[in-house]
Amino acid sequence: MAADSSSVAFSGHRPHRLMWLGIGILAMLISALLSLRLGVRLIGWADIGRALFSFDPDTADHIVLWQIRLPRMVGALLCGGCLGVAGALMQALTRNPLADPGLLGVNAGAALGVVICTIALGLTDPAQFIWAALAGAAIAAALVFALGGNAPSGTGRLILAGAAVSALFYALIRGLLLVSRSSLEVYRVWVLGGFDNVTFYMVATLMPFLIVGLVLAFAAGFSLNALQLGESTAQSLGVRVGFLQLLTGAAIVLLCGTTVAMAGPIAFIGLIVPHLARVTAPTDMRWLSIYSAVYGATLMALADLIARSGMFGSNMQAGVMSAIIGGPVLIWLVRSKGVRKL
Amino acid sequence: MIYTVRLGSLSVRLARRHLLIGMGLLLALLIAGGMALQLGQFDLGAGDLWTAYRGELDKISQMILLDHRLPRVLVAIGAGAAFGVSGAIFQSMLRNPMASPDVIGFNAGASCAAVLAILVFGSARFVLPWALTGGLLTAALVLLLAWDRNGKSGIDPYRLILVGIGASLTLGATSDLLMSMTDEQRAADMAQWLTGTLNARNQADAALIWGGLAALTPVLIWLQFPLNRLIMSDDFVHGFGLRLAGLRLLITGVGVLLAALAVSVAGPLPFVAFVAGPVARRVLKTGAPVLFAAALVGALVTLGADTAARMLSVVQLPAGVFTAVIGAPVLMWLLVAQFRKGAL
Repeated sequence: MAADSSSVAFSGHRPHRLMWLGIGILAMLISALLSLRLGVRLIGWADIGRALFSFDPDTADHIVLWQIRLPRMVGALLCGGCLGVAGALMQALTRNPLADPGLLGVNAGAALGVVICTIALGLTDPAQFIWAALAGAAIAAALVFALGGNAPSGTGRLILAGAAVSALFYALIRGLLLVSRSSLEVYRVWVLGGFDNVTFYMVATLMPFLIVGLVLAFAAGFSLNALQLGESTAQSLGVRVGFLQLLTGAAIVLLCGTTVAMAGPIAFIGLIVPHLARVTAPTDMRWLSIYSAVYGATLMALADLIARSGMFGSNMQAGVMSAIIGGPVLIWLVRSKGVRKL
Repeated sequence: MIYTVRLGSLSVRLARRHLLIGMGLLLALLIAGGMALQLGQFDLGAGDLWTAYRGELDKISQMILLDHRLPRVLVAIGAGAAFGVSGAIFQSMLRNPMASPDVIGFNAGASCAAVLAILVFGSARFVLPWALTGGLLTAALVLLLAWDRNGKSGIDPYRLILVGIGASLTLGATSDLLMSMTDEQRAADMAQWLTGTLNARNQADAALIWGGLAALTPVLIWLQFPLNRLIMSDDFVHGFGLRLAGLRLLITGVGVLLAALAVSVAGPLPFVAFVAGPVARRVLKTGAPVLFAAALVGALVTLGADTAARMLSVVQLPAGVFTAVIGAPVLMWLLVAQFRKGAL
């Protein structure tokens, strides 16, 4: 009987939740198609189809689509999805609604890498920042884990360690920027976060990191469910908390590090999307991750679409756009009691 | 060893450990203050203060000591203490180690308004009133949006934190955007103001921050008692007979006021409000809100940062660059030390 009633309760929720996932995927597809169509040069639906399936190198529309729109769309979807998953993992790991994946020092490390690169090597082209950003992110995350990770009952420390390392790195950045005007010029554009410079080559280079990150994320998902009951309960259920932290942390670093290398720091998606997903998704971490990925990709593509529509001036970028829109959305959600507590 | 101090119907329990550590921090602050007074091209120090005050020194020495060095040190200590206490009370009230005045959006609002002022007026002249207005407006808005009319607790910490994040990140992104839209000189001015500095502080600044602190001290001393209970769950607090809604509103008001005072004399110095509470709590080894110790730690970090900024005379850097450079390693060292002992 007990099993019966629980299965009834389970199936009672199921159609509802799959409906929301379906809506999310539909919205993602629509925003992806729209971002192929819209832009300075409007491309017709028929032309998009022709460009995708029978590419003609002499048609301007086809070149725009393959060289600019498609990489940009793929980049936005990938980054949004990864940030969504990373955010869900981070909030589950720390059980703190304030936790954003940048908290592991990834964004600060990447930013410091970029700033040092502009000063030491004189780089100014954002396409050259990938490796500097990736290396900076990895170093910062390693430092955070050395200080706060891999300890039983260590999530509080992980947060503090992450905040300390981030603060230290941002202080170094501030100092360097005040000394070097030329790097301030590069930095203040890079920090907006956007997909202006994404190419297929960049996506292909970063893809392996993303795939490993996603695999680790889903491997950690099951144990993270147990962690939601509290660390001691999780331990008594046989979860090795220290190892789980390391696994989840590695996934977050891989996902965020590649994102920040591709598009610069995008703060809001990782923070807000898990809260959005928690309203509609079941509590299972793996479902939550999938929902977060879909919602994150949709939001990112929409933000990029709005940012480059030119409505808000030529400086607007997807990262800033998502933050400016996302803030009021989050507040509205909180006020309508739609946000479920962690 | 615990002493009990009784004063009529009031009594306070003081652990000897805490007293000793508090005195140690105070002593360290005095020494650091003395060293900061000594620092500079002219050979003057804390020992000359009295003769300078009596007017027995020559005009230039007197001006350097009383109009420049002393106000700067006093402002550093006062602003650091205000930031430290502000952060510590927000962390206790919201029961979240990551909380700080930033949570209520004060800093984000102040920074955004400051950037806007520089963009509109072209210089950093009118920044302060704009920043204060922006910060206070944002704090009020966040409080209003987070206020729960139906519940008994007034402000739900979880709700306040999320609303605060929403406001902070939107305003932060707007600042970034505004900064990217302007020319090089204005962008540099903005970066300078956003970092927070103690350059060229005068006696009026010192009077402002210390007057404000003195006015708020009785409130803070009284706040220790309810804050000790607020770190427990809402039900417990109700059980103690405390009125949560009013109390939380009062605490938020005091915290924002402290942050506003500190920002108005030192700019938005990063990290001080965040680091003072955790460091104080770890040094004292207690989970209780430790306002006095947090004030001392905040003051030490800020004074140390400003002294470091002054010592690096090759490039003029504002103190805000060094607050995290000094504060973060202290926090890291404490984390590692605790890790070794297996505490926490």
